[in-house]
Amino acid sequence: MIQFDRVVKRFGERVVLKGLSFTIREGEILFVLGTSGTGKSVLLKNIVGLLRPDEGDIWVDGQEVSRLAEESYFPVRKKCGMVFQHPALFDSFTVFENVAFGLRRHYGMGEGEIRARVRECLELVNLVGVERKMPAEISYGMQKRVSLARTVAIEPRILLFDEPTTGLDPVTTNAVNRLILDLSRQLKTTSIVVSHDMHCALAIADRIMVLDQGQIVAQGAPRDLMRSEHPLVRDFLAETLEGES
Amino acid sequence: MNEDASTAAESLMRVPPSDPASVIGRQLIAWFGHVADFLALFGQTLGCALTPPYRARDIMRQFHFVANESAFIIVFCVSSAAMVTIIEASFHMKLVIQNDSMVPGFAALLILRELGSVVMALLITSRVGAGLAAEVGSMQVTEQVDALRMLGIDPVRFIVVPRFVACVLAGFVLSIIANVVCVYCAMLVSTLKLGYTAGSFVTAMRAFVDLRDLAFASIKGAAFGAVIPVFSCYHGFRCKAGAEGVGLATTNSVVATSVAIIVIDFVLSYVFSYLY
Repeated sequence: MIQFDRVVKRFGERVVLKGLSFTIREGEILFVLGTSGTGKSVLLKNIVGLLRPDEGDIWVDGQEVSRLAEESYFPVRKKCGMVFQHPALFDSFTVFENVAFGLRRHYGMGEGEIRARVRECLELVNLVGVERKMPAEISYGMQKRVSLARTVAIEPRILLFDEPTTGLDPVTTNAVNRLILDLSRQLKTTSIVVSHDMHCALAIADRIMVLDQGQIVAQGAPRDLMRSEHPLVRDFLAETLEGES
Repeated sequence: MNEDASTAAESLMRVPPSDPASVIGRQLIAWFGHVADFLALFGQTLGCALTPPYRARDIMRQFHFVANESAFIIVFCVSSAAMVTIIEASFHMKLVIQNDSMVPGFAALLILRELGSVVMALLITSRVGAGLAAEVGSMQVTEQVDALRMLGIDPVRFIVVPRFVACVLAGFVLSIIANVVCVYCAMLVSTLKLGYTAGSFVTAMRAFVDLRDLAFASIKGAAFGAVIPVFSCYHGFRCKAGAEGVGLATTNSVVATSVAIIVIDFVLSYVFSYLY
């Protein structure tokens, strides 16, 4: 479904992705773990053309996308929904307008259909009754959930999550993780989740990939990762096990 | 404005310079890079502004913000500037040529050809341009611009174009208002303080200026209006993360726009001088 082939991304002199190659199957939940600044968010943004690789190819649904012109990217982006690190809600729109924005622009839905869809998506993230509020009037955690609702509203086949649970309380974190799992299992959505949270990764990922300094240092099913001897993986696991004990 | 914030020129700047020639060379490369990027954004904005969809509601909302909400401060400032101009002109003319009979003409000339439009543009830069750079900068660092692109919305068409069209129209209209108010205030001071009648002021003024001056001033106003939002958005799109980044983008946008207004004023004045 998504394939990286020796992808290199530089920012000036700094090489952030160093020849990354991997494949993601349809319906898979891939967690990308790593310390801050290792290129996890850059990896996500390269898939949807918000950043472009300096070398290598990226394939989405059999189409090589890394050299597409900006205006040709929308069909690819339409397949993908991205939950950003920041809530990235449009400040001047209400919660309702934020969630409805993509539907209004591209899906030709009637106002009644849009209302129903927005309500459905907000219910999905446990947010009801905030439709008329402005983003500044709700908490950060609620903003992140609205952002998730906006992404899910357009029913993307591929979901990209950039630290979706950072800054959320444990209850909401569990709800978001459950949502990622449900979307993947029920709608066969392919998900890539960038996270620091090994605990969540072990619970819901089909595969975990650990990045360090722009390279894949370990990857595999959660049970395989548990046996990894790589120091970074051990550090992540140790922290998770400490938290559980 | 697109993606990779670090351009080749910027990466070159990170390598420590070895000699003064390298320092100057690198600065020049970086500067030309900025100019090329700005021109690309300007061209894209112009292209989008001339092709549908036109988003009239957004343009009107921006026009209200730029024109209506700036009108009072512009009128207040230009009228003060006009009054100072005429009093100073009178004082110095009396000092040098012992009469101030040419004050209305010189004052009107200065107002219509320079003062009205330039002061108006600098005020819009500080009021609208700075706010716009901060707004776009914070949209950039909070990934709202990326969110727009993900939803298939061109950020230039969505953010820049309505403000561009609104500022061009507002620049044109406010320039007329600013100049008319300036001339009226000059006339008021002349009648109250310098002993002119309204009729003698207008007669003396008409010897130096005519409606072409007002037309050229309005064209200048529209040109200034065109660069303000594009510079502001350009710096906003290049904004680096954090409060410092937004502050820097705002400062850079105000400085760059003010310099651009002075340069454009010179170029247009030079061109118009051939049309009199």
